[in-house]
Amino acid sequence: MNDVQASEIQYTPRELLACVASRLIEDGESVFVGTGLPLVGALMAQKMQAPNMMAIYECGAVDPEPRVLPWSVACSWTYHKAPIILSMSSVFGHSRAGYSDVGFLGGAQIDMYGNINATVIGDYDHPKVRLTGSGGANDIASLCQKVIFMGLHLPERFPERVDYITTPGFLDGPGARERAGLLGGGPWRVISHLGVMGFDEKTCRMKVISYHPGVTPELVQQFTGFELIVPGDVAETPKPTVEELRVLREEVDPNQLFVF
Amino acid sequence: MSHANDRLFDHQQAREHKLKKSRMKTDKRMPLSDAIAEFVEDGDSLIESGFAYVRGPMAAYWEIGRQKKKDLVGIFTPGGMNSAWHEFGGMEGCHVAYVGVEMRGLISPFRRGVEAGTLKIYAEWSHGGLALGLRAAEQGVNYLACKSMLGTDIMKTNPYIKEAQDPWTGEPVCLVPAVYPDLAIIHVHHADMYGNGRIWGPAVNDTAIAAAARKVIVTCERIVDTADIRANPYQVVVPHYVVDAVCEVPLGAWPGEMPGMYYFDRRLQERIVRVDWKTAEGTKAWYEEYILGTKDQFEMLSLAAEEEGMHPLQYVKELENLACDSAFCGLGSWGVGGGRDWKYEEVAKRAI
Repeated sequence: MNDVQASEIQYTPRELLACVASRLIEDGESVFVGTGLPLVGALMAQKMQAPNMMAIYECGAVDPEPRVLPWSVACSWTYHKAPIILSMSSVFGHSRAGYSDVGFLGGAQIDMYGNINATVIGDYDHPKVRLTGSGGANDIASLCQKVIFMGLHLPERFPERVDYITTPGFLDGPGARERAGLLGGGPWRVISHLGVMGFDEKTCRMKVISYHPGVTPELVQQFTGFELIVPGDVAETPKPTVEELRVLREEVDPNQLFVF
Repeated sequence: MSHANDRLFDHQQAREHKLKKSRMKTDKRMPLSDAIAEFVEDGDSLIESGFAYVRGPMAAYWEIGRQKKKDLVGIFTPGGMNSAWHEFGGMEGCHVAYVGVEMRGLISPFRRGVEAGTLKIYAEWSHGGLALGLRAAEQGVNYLACKSMLGTDIMKTNPYIKEAQDPWTGEPVCLVPAVYPDLAIIHVHHADMYGNGRIWGPAVNDTAIAAAARKVIVTCERIVDTADIRANPYQVVVPHYVVDAVCEVPLGAWPGEMPGMYYFDRRLQERIVRVDWKTAEGTKAWYEEYILGTKDQFEMLSLAAEEEGMHPLQYVKELENLACDSAFCGLGSWGVGGGRDWKYEEVAKRAI
């Protein structure tokens, strides 16, 4: 990664989100990519430090080489130059078999145990807002080895418990995933426009890992609907580099589909 | 008459229906309006090809709207614009794995219907879970056991799936029953007159829904010779014997994407989703102008082109050029005959 910091360059919160999320992907990893911001993070990683990253999409596309950002998880870019195109049940089957290292997801709400809601805000039978439903998110979080979540950080989007568990995190705490019969390690990182969060090994509760430039740990807490664990070693997230912003703007999303 | 939900999981009844279907290789070509009139019955459960906005049978959706079919049950895996039907009076309920336009947001008519309680949701699913239900029907097994949906509220809001213990290991598994929709509409690049359908790009769930559904309508961009299909069966997702009707509908996936042929009509899709359908009144006005006010896909496309001050042919070429510039998937090297075989003249003739 380029060490030059873009201290003089303006960037938007969504650009920061994309840059920070993309850094979490290691070269050679297989990444099951959900729709929305994860499309940006995954492609950016592929164009930066992880050229051998293997993206997987629920339409059946595996290991494509998209030139620019796909508009959808079934857009033709998701199978551009792909060596194979599987079916929907097969790509999830391959994840179950152990071929998906990272699941990369978005969603409306995430709670202290990393459970994600993409179904309803409010009561299920009388919803205040009806959302999209799971799509592949439930399968991705049930089957991949670790899960990265990307989303905007507001108290109502980070409640203590989500209104509806669409996609499993640690459910109701330590040991619950195993008892439920789920595979994989569950939630690993949460990237918001305020900071990077992880999960405490003992309690499975969300903890702060770093706060973004211009943000304080107090502010992250203020925008969270539950008590965050703030370890002593929290640090500031490194700013986007000049190179990161160039790749994001010129190569990943030149048409400004997502990052505006 | 049984409810669509009862038929959806009735493997015996599905088999009896299929035993009665003719295996004769007869010419099944017919106009889309005839196919919809004959094979879409009020109360049917309905599933479609592709991935909502990619290779979805859009022309067939609009025709269903034109013919004012009633009480349909949608199987949304994923669902896109077809989820607006209940506001046109055509849909009573649905099974939901996903309904939306990804980063473009939610579909307002669907949201309004669910929030007001006028559109029933019979079950929540995950994409992978419902894909396995369809796959179970294709593979001829009663159910499949998987590791999805466990521990979540999907288990509580889907009366058709069950948690059980794996008989060998004792660990929890989720059992997904085989799913048999009444009707599948499958849009393909090429089909022959018997219904063998060939695609480029991902099949998604198509081979499964073709085998699972009682009735299958194939719509295609172009009719090709059977010899052409038989020379290369590898991209065929629908075999002729499951197919009831074959309709040649160029631009049949518009305003969605047809891999390698034309790209999403993003401008129109965004306008429909964000503006035209924002209110119930707007949705009704749109339905009257775009669906009831046109007789087929070409008139509808001409209307969209006219609103942009473009000739329909120019409008189509722009979508085709986007497919080449930004989403070309190597059709030239894959297809028998090579290259895109779109005939501008043909579209122009039919669209004007």
